[in-house]
Amino acid sequence: MKDLLKYTYLLNINQIEKKIEALWQRYQEILSNPKSSWEDLNEARAILYFLGYLYPEKIALESLEYRVKLIKPKIDINEFLLAIDGKNIKVLNKYKKNKKFNKLKEFYLIVKNIKNRVKNNTYLDEGRFNKIYSKIKPKDYS
Amino acid sequence: MKQVITGRVTVIKNEKDYYKIKKEVILVAKNTHPDIVIAIKNIKGIITEIDNKLCHAAIIAREFNKPILMGVNEATKKFKNNDKIAIDFSKRIVKKIK
Repeated sequence: MKDLLKYTYLLNINQIEKKIEALWQRYQEILSNPKSSWEDLNEARAILYFLGYLYPEKIALESLEYRVKLIKPKIDINEFLLAIDGKNIKVLNKYKKNKKFNKLKEFYLIVKNIKNRVKNNTYLDEGRFNKIYSKIKPKDYS
Repeated sequence: MKQVITGRVTVIKNEKDYYKIKKEVILVAKNTHPDIVIAIKNIKGIITEIDNKLCHAAIIAREFNKPILMGVNEATKKFKNNDKIAIDFSKRIVKKIK
């Protein structure tokens, strides 16, 4: 998670994608292993919280809000997100050759890919996680 | 996009509620679930309690060109199924209509 934050500061798209996938793989590994311990499950919980909320909704969003301001010609964060999600051809064409726009677009699509990842009919396999977590939770846990 | 929309509310308590949507509604939820796409053509607008540009509901709203009002505190408690409401997006106001 520290590395992911580091590469986000550096806006190293390849490494960001690799670190996200590594966290996802670790999370899946914990959920798929019947021998996963209570401690392992809490590691999975940390990954789920990080990938599902903290990273996209706080860290990546702050990074985008800061960096989108540097794009020229100016575009605000709402227009930027709407252009990409809404596939607004006019705006996308305007920034077609803009390196900063395209790099941030790529970053956003990676973040969106993990944020919207569905497995077993829930975002980030949360349904499976909740089931295993409740099953393994110690009775005296508070 | 329209500044004001009116319609009947459907409150989403769990993902099964999306399958019950058969006519055009304004969706009220804490946040959204992947199954929202099942009902997307019948969703006139979205109200969420959560408020974040990268939350699922915000992404879905942008992708499907649906108006959304986020950050409405306790919306899932304030509104009930079939309530008739008007959302003014420019003023960020939701009103019940009698």
